[in-house]
Amino acid sequence: MARLKDRLYPVFKLTVNNIRRHPIINLISITIIAVAMLMLALYFLAYVNADRIVSGWRSDLKVAVYLDENLSPGRLRQLKDFCLELKEVKSLNYVSRDEALARFKVTLGDDSNFLDGLPENPLPASLELLLDAEVVGYSDVERLARQLRRQAGVDEVVYGSYWLRQLFSLLRMVKYFGFVFAIFLSSVTVFIVASTIRLSLFARRETIRVLYLVGATRRFVALPYLFEGVFQGAVASSVALGFAFAVFKYVRFWLREQVPQWSIAAQLGFFTIPSLLLFLLLGTLLGLAGFLISSRWFSCD
Amino acid sequence: MIRVSNLNKSYNHPDMVLKNVSFNVQKGEFVYLSGPSGAGKTTLFRLLFADIKPDGGQIVIDGLDLIRAGADRLARLRRQMGIVFQDYKLIPNYTVFDNVALALEVAGTPRQQIQKRVWKVLKVVGIERKIERLPVQLSGGEQQRVAIARALVNNPKIILADEPTGNLDYEIAEEIMRILYYINSQGTTIVMVTHNRSLLQRFKRKVFYLDKGSLQAYVWPD
Repeated sequence: MARLKDRLYPVFKLTVNNIRRHPIINLISITIIAVAMLMLALYFLAYVNADRIVSGWRSDLKVAVYLDENLSPGRLRQLKDFCLELKEVKSLNYVSRDEALARFKVTLGDDSNFLDGLPENPLPASLELLLDAEVVGYSDVERLARQLRRQAGVDEVVYGSYWLRQLFSLLRMVKYFGFVFAIFLSSVTVFIVASTIRLSLFARRETIRVLYLVGATRRFVALPYLFEGVFQGAVASSVALGFAFAVFKYVRFWLREQVPQWSIAAQLGFFTIPSLLLFLLLGTLLGLAGFLISSRWFSCD
Repeated sequence: MIRVSNLNKSYNHPDMVLKNVSFNVQKGEFVYLSGPSGAGKTTLFRLLFADIKPDGGQIVIDGLDLIRAGADRLARLRRQMGIVFQDYKLIPNYTVFDNVALALEVAGTPRQQIQKRVWKVLKVVGIERKIERLPVQLSGGEQQRVAIARALVNNPKIILADEPTGNLDYEIAEEIMRILYYINSQGTTIVMVTHNRSLLQRFKRKVFYLDKGSLQAYVWPD
């Protein structure tokens, strides 16, 4: 243990010396990495929160199947059985013509008096299908609607088609784009760390030469740069998380103030503790990767 | 202690810098490598601590073949060698203490021992009172003493010195020579590169004379 301490002490001393002697290089590097990490953090926050909110909406996915006026009770039973056998359908609710009218009256409130003057109830009976959010994608809803329209006794099938199409395609795009975006930003971060180390090596070439002359191994010379890369990654990801938290708080405040009726703000969440640790680890690993790329420059020549 | 056989070096140029150079240095000897500018002294010096590789030939130091040895073996060998340069090669932002301690830290010496050994060696070269100074706050002679202290602190078997008095006036150069003589009297082998003839005459030892890349003769100057 004491021997390990004796070996590590000069390495840490050199690391601290590297960082203190080149504050500008380190500051620039940390700033650029922090910006890249902040973009990553904001992207993931946006994606995770959008996914959470949309999952909530998706759990309310409903399709209304309006029925023919003259549908026999036998055909109604057959239709119910048919719908319940579909894997996309979680549950089913029959809304009779009278119930539909009662609901409509509630919706209209004080303006519902005019309905009393109608000679007969104009609203059709319907089947409300609650879809399973786990198995339903946009294409499933479209296919399901086509399938239902073909059934005898079905007059019309209604679902939020435009809204759903936009939502599903947006989420799909965000998911794929985010993957490419994350890889791009990670590569940029690794490149920045590697370049910083290279700059630092150039600035300290005389010191490195002295180290080799007094008998330092390549490992001894390189280790401080490994710690420096890890330090830059860890500090930058902490700074990025701090900024991301500030942005998150502001956006939540803004939503609460501007669109209180949406109640979106209450559903928003920041990173969980494991996600925070994972993000810090990612920053550190990116710093480490930068060092590994630069390690071929640690030659005594 | 040092065995050099048929050494060639060209830096990828038709004119050879060193041509078939061979010589031996015994344990505890003090020898000079001398010759005019461009004779190949510094190239030979750099070959002796494996800073560069030769085109052909063999260098064996303390039983280790420098051409065949791996990087880690060479690093360990350098810890048993003290290397002194004309331009001192001190780390500018390290104090006198830190510059000397570096050679011990690299070798993994326990921290309790480092303080004691650095102090002792700085006393030998007579600079113990400036232990907290930075190199820039020292004179040329003092900086060279620090460089010698750094070379000496690991109790090396060999000291290689490239023009250690080259930047110093005669009086200071004499002091540095006396320190090197003292170190040699304690049993350390010393190879010193110099072209200073008056120094060779004042401090007489064996001289390997290089001219145009060939080791012409070794002589005792009058």
